[in-house]
Amino acid sequence: MLDNIIIGQYLPGQSVLHRMDPRAKLSAIFLYIIVVFLANNWLTYAIVGVFALFTIALSRVSLRYIYKGMKPVILIVLFTFILQVLLTREGAVLYDLRWFKLYDGGLRQGIFISLRLLYLVMVTSLLTLTTKPLDITDGLESLLGPLKKIKLPVHEFALMMSIALRFIPTLLQETEKIMKAQMARGAEFTTGPILQRLKAFVPLLIPLFISSFKRAEDLALAMEARGYRGGEGRTRLRVLKWTGKDTIALFVLVVLAVGLYVLRTH
Amino acid sequence: MHKGKVYKMVAVAMLSSIAYVLMLLDFPFPGLPVFLQIDFSEVPALLAAIIFGPLAGLAVEGIKNVLHYGLIGNLTGVPVGEVANFISGTIFILPASYFVRKYRTTKSLSGGLVIGTVAMTLMMSLLNYIIILPAYTWFLHAPQMSNTAMLNLITIGIAPFNIIKGLLITALFVFLYTRLAPWLNKQAQPTV
Repeated sequence: MLDNIIIGQYLPGQSVLHRMDPRAKLSAIFLYIIVVFLANNWLTYAIVGVFALFTIALSRVSLRYIYKGMKPVILIVLFTFILQVLLTREGAVLYDLRWFKLYDGGLRQGIFISLRLLYLVMVTSLLTLTTKPLDITDGLESLLGPLKKIKLPVHEFALMMSIALRFIPTLLQETEKIMKAQMARGAEFTTGPILQRLKAFVPLLIPLFISSFKRAEDLALAMEARGYRGGEGRTRLRVLKWTGKDTIALFVLVVLAVGLYVLRTH
Repeated sequence: MHKGKVYKMVAVAMLSSIAYVLMLLDFPFPGLPVFLQIDFSEVPALLAAIIFGPLAGLAVEGIKNVLHYGLIGNLTGVPVGEVANFISGTIFILPASYFVRKYRTTKSLSGGLVIGTVAMTLMMSLLNYIIILPAYTWFLHAPQMSNTAMLNLITIGIAPFNIIKGLLITALFVFLYTRLAPWLNKQAQPTV
């Protein structure tokens, strides 16, 4: 039941994308999302697509993994494509069946929207494929740093995110163990009326909660014993380093954004 | 439970982790549109809100959704579903947290959860009408839904979904909390 859940999809590697600063990658993705929404004609969609393929090539991640990331959305893409083709009535009629006319505008709209979805999924999954989850939270903490000025607990939030991330696999394992233990005692999780199934969940959740509270106690004790006193003045084992290639990447994306703004149909 | 700030923070992180795992175990409810999936990730958030206060519940809702967006991604590239989940979850857990922390009875718990269900249903119907559905159609560039089509979808899909989800979680949480409360109270006593 829990085997086919992927937690993080990081693939170790040495490519330029792997070595980039997570802050640069996060800002670049943010810019790219805006850029994709700017595209609205053949030329701009082609440019955005070439850029996506170029980054995939740079990452040296095999296409198999990119495809795996895209699989869940392919159905949705097909669905929106068909919806667009069926419902848009613009432009010249390309093909005329008695009950349905294929319009030039509908086909174009369908292709554009499908491409937009595919580009977004491709590039965002590249982020998780080439960046360790912990680096992403570090990057987020650093990028959101200015919000500390208005008393938002950015450091605490990032730390809680890292702890939560770290314990997902452990918790999955534990859930499975408890489930098997209860099933060995005759518990049924998948059959019976709704109310009974709900009740079956209780003996699964109680041990899970209690062991998490105990684990939290241990971890908090260990942190305090090592002198954890909040984010102020805390040093790090892995320090984020902004290098030339990060600046170049951001520069390229800004150029792309400006270029698209000029080339899109107004 | 008074075990210090670090403990509170770590415990909230653990509960968020459980919430994320429960979020992955979602299932469609027979008779409702498939994109409305029911999951029990509100349960750890409720527990956090009751034990550590409303802000902790808010944190669980937030972390769970950020993790979901970051690890699973989203079909529109923009976290519309996650934001919707965050808002509905927050509205759902706050009344129960307020009443239980004030009166500490089982009745206040179930009452608070029912109020939460009603508030969530009303709020989500309204938000879907004015923001969420238009946002989805805009991001997917689907043809704009007419107001009557949106109202239809809300009355046959979104409102019943929120009521059913709220009631299922209420039932599960009341079962759970009545069994967990003795242990939690024992933890709250000073041990040394």
